[in-house]
Amino acid sequence: MKKLLKDVRTMPASALNETFQRIVNRQYQKAGRRHLTPIFVAWLIAATIIIGASSARAFCGFYVAKADASLFNKTSQVILVREGNRTTITMSSDFEGDAKDFAMVVPVPVVLQRNEIKTVPAQIFTTLDGYSGPRLVEYYDENPCQVIERYEMDQLSGVEEAMPSEAVAKSSADNYHVKIEARYTVDEYDVLLLSADESSGLEKWLVANGYRIPEGAREVLQPYINSGMKFFVVKVNQEELKKKGTTFLSPLQITFNSPKFMLPIRLGMANAKGTQDMIVYAFTPTGRVETTNYRTVKVPTDKNVPEFVQHYFGQFYVDTYRKHRREQGAANVFLEYAWDVSGSVRQFCDPCTGPPPMLQDLITAGVDWVQQYHYGYNGNVFFTRLHVTYDRKSFPQDLQFQETPNKENFQARYIITHPAYGTFDCEEGGRYIKATQQRRTRELQQLALLTGWETSGYGAYISNFNYSPDGPPVYRKATVPAEKKLPQDTINRFVPEKNPGQIDQGAFNVPFNSDSPDDDGNGHAGIWIIPGMVMLLALMFFSGRKKTVAK
Amino acid sequence: MQATSINLSANYKTFGVHVIDSIQWFIRDARHYQILFLSTFLLYGITSLQWDMNPTIMAAAFTSCFITQYLFIVLRMNDLHSLKSAMISSLSLCLMLKTNDPLVMLLAGTLSISGKFLLRWRHPTVGKIGGGWKHFFNPTNFGIITTIVITGNAWISPGQWGSDGLLLFGIGLLGLFVLLKVKRLDIAIAFFTVFCLLTFTRNVAVLGWSADVFFHQFTSGTLLLFTFFMITDPVSTPSHRIARICWAVLVAFLAFYLATYEFINGAPLWALFFLSPLSVLFDKLFLHPKFSWL
Repeated sequence: MKKLLKDVRTMPASALNETFQRIVNRQYQKAGRRHLTPIFVAWLIAATIIIGASSARAFCGFYVAKADASLFNKTSQVILVREGNRTTITMSSDFEGDAKDFAMVVPVPVVLQRNEIKTVPAQIFTTLDGYSGPRLVEYYDENPCQVIERYEMDQLSGVEEAMPSEAVAKSSADNYHVKIEARYTVDEYDVLLLSADESSGLEKWLVANGYRIPEGAREVLQPYINSGMKFFVVKVNQEELKKKGTTFLSPLQITFNSPKFMLPIRLGMANAKGTQDMIVYAFTPTGRVETTNYRTVKVPTDKNVPEFVQHYFGQFYVDTYRKHRREQGAANVFLEYAWDVSGSVRQFCDPCTGPPPMLQDLITAGVDWVQQYHYGYNGNVFFTRLHVTYDRKSFPQDLQFQETPNKENFQARYIITHPAYGTFDCEEGGRYIKATQQRRTRELQQLALLTGWETSGYGAYISNFNYSPDGPPVYRKATVPAEKKLPQDTINRFVPEKNPGQIDQGAFNVPFNSDSPDDDGNGHAGIWIIPGMVMLLALMFFSGRKKTVAK
Repeated sequence: MQATSINLSANYKTFGVHVIDSIQWFIRDARHYQILFLSTFLLYGITSLQWDMNPTIMAAAFTSCFITQYLFIVLRMNDLHSLKSAMISSLSLCLMLKTNDPLVMLLAGTLSISGKFLLRWRHPTVGKIGGGWKHFFNPTNFGIITTIVITGNAWISPGQWGSDGLLLFGIGLLGLFVLLKVKRLDIAIAFFTVFCLLTFTRNVAVLGWSADVFFHQFTSGTLLLFTFFMITDPVSTPSHRIARICWAVLVAFLAFYLATYEFINGAPLWALFFLSPLSVLFDKLFLHPKFSWL
């Protein structure tokens, strides 16, 4: 015990000073308004006690780390803006290599006009990712033997982006039964809008014009052609790119009117064997966006985890996401963030991991129903961030969405709590130490539950309040498949942002292998309920029958 | 000593009879099955599928359904048996209608039940066996659609079940129990087959999608729940078998049209809402005794 107290005493006081500088006065937000009427108050109380209330507490803490889209390999980012039947899609490009090799084919429901296609600054993706990514926040315990106040704080971010690709073009369309509906030059891109009668013609045309179409694309092209979709075909105009004086390709934005609210992902999967990650940032005037042909599931949130997670937060989130995906099933879309960012709202994030989208960001994204109003803007805007890890097997259909009136805020937030500093020489101090040790035990259990990390090596964390881990996390032996080959993309996928000196890269080579097909969990652990009920019924049915016969 | 043993055996018999009696009571009424199954689905959704079920919203659904039903029972001097229907309506509302506002759920519950009592018509076979009142609308369906239209603050989540094969098999199997009991399997089969055929023709034969796209569309829990637990409600569907099948086929066609060409989410619910009143016409054309729960 003496040693423990000594450790606590030697904690640097400067850590606290830094936090004092970051005080931000924040309004507590009440999560979920409750409209109660006297008729059923009593009923409600009873029901609430039985079922267990799940009201989210308002946040009061410090943001310390975030997990951005770049942590996942092969991640593309898309901004979807939907108002009525009008959809704006912004696609980021992470194309690396010679720009003349870049090409993109996207099915679109209508022939786009010139003014419906434009490029936007890539910065918008950085802003949205930084603003909406999963976050780690910290709390400070009060020393029970002194009175210390609690405060809050804020911070900023960094990111990247992505999208599919192919090659170059020249056109003699008639032989292939392909019609060029429109041809535009949009900044550094040459854009064609094609319609076709049959997929083989379109495929041949694309190949003849230098587009490398993946094998298996035909089975997907034909249904798109049959449903009257047009093809938005893009390559880079070298001269325009030279004029621009950069090799960086800007994100492309298209706008169209159609009752279809979907993202065509099938074409991108035609040749891909592994999984691909996609982050969708959606803006609507009404509320959350959810998928209608796949389940939209929340990622775990508001979990208390050990202090040292701060050093490995990127890896922590990647593993939490993958474990959750394995448990819930691969064919799901995951909700990472949902927030009302209407002009009238005062609190855009809680806490903020990056600056919330401003009027200019919204307009860049294609939110055209907001107007400037004093220093802010007027209009209802709801922001949703969805994360989907897709492959051909689990996602046979394109993603179809609906906008719902659900305005409930949600964020992926993980909490670390720093113990108090001091001597704890009062009677309350002893109790505090005991309670904190229990809390730290629970934090370790929670960590193992969320990520599947082996936590037995962190035993010292429980009693040593000044603990720093000897090395990076390792995975539970039982959960690592013995003879399974690990996919390339999981090796060295994590580059630590903080304390690089402490991290042994080699240890990251044994992660969960959630990308291998046979490791994709089915989820639905409670499915046994239904066969159970069937058996119960059969039992009842037959026992009832005997009685009737006896009569 | 002897007396004690006789007493014990008598008690035992009484207990056994009680058990058998209660099982008999349970299997006599198809509504008991419905209540049991719907609660199972709800429990499964909350525990395993991580639905966002706010206890306040659920309480609002149950409260409004039960209070409204009770008030109408008192007003119309009906018997308390029909409180079971309120239970089914509230469970269905919890399963299908999503909202964040308890007041909206209160409205949905009230509309479901009062729609049942107010929007009804006297069946032609009244006075004969099984005669009486029939509903213009399926109560829950009426509650869901009118609430969505009136408040704009409620929605249906067609994707909430995912597409787990075993789950869907379970829903289908349990649905089968109820339908065999109420003798409405024909509706489910007619609706499901026609809707399946239309969608298959459109997606696989016409558009050329591979078969797994079609299967993915059909392994939708919302569609199966609708087929086995909503459209088959015996009190708001035509009484004659031929009429029932024709009517179910019409619902399937409209649902297919709304889903495919109007891109409406939860199209079967809307189709049922628009076509429910047609069952009056079918009942006038095809005279048949009305269904009775007991």
